[in-house]
Amino acid sequence: MADSKQKVVTLICERSCDLDASLDATGHLKEVSEVSVVKFPCSGMIQPLMIEAAMKSGATGVIVTGCQIGDCYFREGNRMIRERLIGDRPPGLKKTVDRKRVIALWLSRPQTGRFISEAKSFVAQLAQLPAPAPALAPATAPAAAKPAAASAKTAEAKKPEKKSESTPESGGANGEGK
Amino acid sequence: MQKLYTDPLTKGMLLLEDWTNKIATSKYNPFYYHGALPQFFLWVLFLTGLLLFAYYIPTIDNAYASEKLINAWTSVDYITNTIPFGAVFRGMHRYAGDAMVLTIVLHVLRVWFTDRYRQYRIVQWLSGVVLLLMVLFIGQTGYYLVWDDRSLILTRMTVSAFDALPLIGGPLKTWFLNGEEITNLTLSNFLFIHIGLSFGLLFGLWIHYVRMQRPVITPPPAINYILVAILLMVVAWMPIASGNMAQLTQQPTSFEIDWFFLWPYWMMANMPLGAYWLVLIVGTVLLCLIPYTAKTPPVEAAEVVLNKCTGCSLCSKDCPYNAIEMVPAPAGSRFKLLATVKEFRCSGCGVCVGACAFDAIDLPNLLDTDVTSQIKALVQN
Repeated sequence: MADSKQKVVTLICERSCDLDASLDATGHLKEVSEVSVVKFPCSGMIQPLMIEAAMKSGATGVIVTGCQIGDCYFREGNRMIRERLIGDRPPGLKKTVDRKRVIALWLSRPQTGRFISEAKSFVAQLAQLPAPAPALAPATAPAAAKPAAASAKTAEAKKPEKKSESTPESGGANGEGK
Repeated sequence: MQKLYTDPLTKGMLLLEDWTNKIATSKYNPFYYHGALPQFFLWVLFLTGLLLFAYYIPTIDNAYASEKLINAWTSVDYITNTIPFGAVFRGMHRYAGDAMVLTIVLHVLRVWFTDRYRQYRIVQWLSGVVLLLMVLFIGQTGYYLVWDDRSLILTRMTVSAFDALPLIGGPLKTWFLNGEEITNLTLSNFLFIHIGLSFGLLFGLWIHYVRMQRPVITPPPAINYILVAILLMVVAWMPIASGNMAQLTQQPTSFEIDWFFLWPYWMMANMPLGAYWLVLIVGTVLLCLIPYTAKTPPVEAAEVVLNKCTGCSLCSKDCPYNAIEMVPAPAGSRFKLLATVKEFRCSGCGVCVGACAFDAIDLPNLLDTDVTSQIKALVQN
């Protein structure tokens, strides 16, 4: 706990796995204090811009969590954000976001334990990644090959563009495209 | 935020689905295709029904009776015993109907237990009640068509049930029998009701789907194959056979009940007809009222920020409920189109917020700027 300087933001659908009992007063997970949680009525509301904003303001990782694919209460929200993260549906996630630092989990209501264990291992993986220069620095060259891949399985860690994390020319300077 | 999923039935349903996910994975979890399953069986019924229709003769008797009797019963017998695989198709048609009722019940229970039947879904629920009644009635007319003993009892029971209704009873009876008594015209009317109303289902389904973008109406092929395989196994285990040919002069008194379709006749046999109609009508009304019983705050519909909307129509395409319409932008705008929210359709889910790259659409109770500052606060504290 709190050994690292990892700051992970979870953007989660309030109907996905039940975290009400697992949060402390400040919105952090009790068991994994690096992880804070922001709830949405539906994961489909999550804007890729929000992920970029989180990274820009210093988060070292983002976990996007929606319900099991196929089980969105609002029919299609989790499919939408999934396709946006993959890049199949506009608006997508900017190339400047290090894909190794974003994972997506699709969990049903009872799968709280699964979420916590995935969050733990994600924090551990982030610690092994080369430190991110503050605020969206150019990604480091020696692509740390092994980390994130482990958490894939059914929960589908989301790293569409596997290796080739981008080397943005503009660094943190590019705002949010407005 | 309101408390979610506190109902024990809901929790039970979610646990059951979680357990199914472990076996079937979410991609093949039949619970996630609960609406598509009856729709699949409807296609099976259409196809097998088409084959049965090709050989079915809707008459109760015929002038050449002495020589070689040709009527509904013998044509069904011909389909079953002479046509290659006729018995298989007949069995599939029967059991697919049963399966359709079964999957509709599953569909109803799931949308009920997981709280997906109210407010912006009201059209789906009400049209669903009508569709269920239609399916049950179509199924019953299927039992008349075979024209065995059972068909005769069912027809007579239906007639007496109609007779018990005040005012509309007489005309309904005449419509049902296509005259004042059972004749050849009666069976052709049954055949018309059976097939015509089945096509009516398509109209009902259109209303059922019209408020949904990209409705899930087809299960994945793997599930379809399994369903057909199960259907064929049931056909092989329990082949369908007709009873004796109906004789208008006789008065058969008992019959085997198919509990999927014929339970109303069980009710008819066991209670006064007045009470039967009362139960049926009150039951239907109660079914329609279910969505109005839950007390929940009204949906706060998404709002378009007029001066930011570029008319890109991404939100309109992504809205799961067809609630956003692109209209021509007012004169003087830099853009051609403008998004407008149909509030009565909006679920307040925020998918449109996620679709907008210009912060031009917002949930009034959860602004995306607030969310972003919440994220920043959490990261920086």
